[in-house]
Amino acid sequence: MLSLANVDSFYGRSQALHAMTISAPRGAVLGILGRNGVGKTTLLRTILGLTDRSEGVIALGGTPIEAFPTHERARAGIAYVPQGRMIIPDFTIRENILMGGFAATGARRIPDIVPELFPYLMDNLDRPGGVLSGGQQQQLAIARALACKPKVLLMDEPTEGIQPNIVAQIEDIIIRLNTELGLTILLVEQNVAFVRRAAKAFAMIEHGTAVESGPIDTLTDAMVHKHMAI
Amino acid sequence: MTETLFIGLSLSSILLLIALGLSITYGAMGVINMAHGELVMIGAYTAVLSGIYLNLNFFLALPLAFAVSALVGMALERLVIRRLYGRIIDTLLATWGVAIVLQQLIRLEFGLSFFGIHVEGLGPGLQSMDVPSFLTQPFEIGGVPIQPYRSFIIVVTLLLTLLTWFLMYRTSMGTQVRAIMRNPQIAAACGIDVRRVSAFTFAYGSGLAGVAGVLLAGFKTVMPDMGASTVVDGFLVVVVGGVGSLLGTVLASGLLGQINGVFAILFNDILARAVVFGVVIAIILWRPRGLFSFRSR
Repeated sequence: MLSLANVDSFYGRSQALHAMTISAPRGAVLGILGRNGVGKTTLLRTILGLTDRSEGVIALGGTPIEAFPTHERARAGIAYVPQGRMIIPDFTIRENILMGGFAATGARRIPDIVPELFPYLMDNLDRPGGVLSGGQQQQLAIARALACKPKVLLMDEPTEGIQPNIVAQIEDIIIRLNTELGLTILLVEQNVAFVRRAAKAFAMIEHGTAVESGPIDTLTDAMVHKHMAI
Repeated sequence: MTETLFIGLSLSSILLLIALGLSITYGAMGVINMAHGELVMIGAYTAVLSGIYLNLNFFLALPLAFAVSALVGMALERLVIRRLYGRIIDTLLATWGVAIVLQQLIRLEFGLSFFGIHVEGLGPGLQSMDVPSFLTQPFEIGGVPIQPYRSFIIVVTLLLTLLTWFLMYRTSMGTQVRAIMRNPQIAAACGIDVRRVSAFTFAYGSGLAGVAGVLLAGFKTVMPDMGASTVVDGFLVVVVGGVGSLLGTVLASGLLGQINGVFAILFNDILARAVVFGVVIAIILWRPRGLFSFRSR
């Protein structure tokens, strides 16, 4: 569904990804693992065209998209739930969700799945997004991404900085998005247990390249210890 | 005192039109456009020249000035600013250069000719275009003499502010502009064509500057460097009001325009400028991000 072949990516003159090659099959969750600073967020930003420059091939459903500007990649079906949520604090919850609709064809509307997944958001559509708690803002960021009508969802540490009782809810929602909607998800996570629960495959990143990858049941504790221990 | 406040209100109105354009272009694109004052100047020249040489009605000159300044702004965005996004100092220097070029082009074409919109008792009355007589005959309300041209400035500004509010808060384009102001990368990741929307925003802000130029020509000589000082005042309003805040821009222009008007009339222009800068410094120390900045948990 989404594949990268020999992708290099740069911030100015600094190279952040080196010959990155990964593939997320249609309808699968691909867990992206690695220590802080190895290039996981850069990988997602490169897929969206948000780094300064990249080389190599990025394909969505077999179509090369590396020449597309960011908004066209979004319209092609890639949605982003960024690290730190990045909702618009002074937009209402409704406006925040509908922002995603600019990537979708047809009238902008709140997706049918949102009321079911996030009833609190639906009950507070006219409140500013900035007053929500961290967990609720994460829900809002996911709802915004769903309004893009995505084929592929890029999620950057969706459980980071969220209180523990909400983390389980977020995890369950991500698994439902994959199993019930059939969304292909690239999941950047430090929580290995969650990745093992949600993902069908994994890629371990180090120094901007995928050093290990394969089906999730081939992810060993030794790999985790080697590549993620501080 | 009422008359003084009324004069301050008309000055605030022009300041608001200039600052609105700056606020949305700086907010949406992070561009400090030093040529904004020249867009004011181009609007003023468009109005007076179309009046003098084409006998164009003053009221038609307003939309014409909007269109011409918007087109020049669009060209500036396409040819210069688009290549410098994210490089704020480079943009500042480049637009400063453009400002000088525009001034010199006008100076080369018109030499030392000075123009104006002649309003009895207000303008310099040089080579001038005429305005309808009902805009030149002062009248009184409750014993307070009212200059109709100043009233006209206030009405035009009010209408354009309402139009801007409508565009920004009630249209899809406005939602896209506001999204870009807050986070251009997330806006793009949500499918918003940041370049196209920014070009529209820049053209609209430039058009507002053009209208401000027409109104300003009623009591200021139209000459090549007439807009240079207005851009500084405009940025003071943007800084005090909070970048990208429509309400902040309205209130800050009202505050600074009134201070300027009242102190200039009661004392002199120099003291008025000093007081304005003093107030701006105090507000920035108190609220570094302006009166109306965005906050989140």
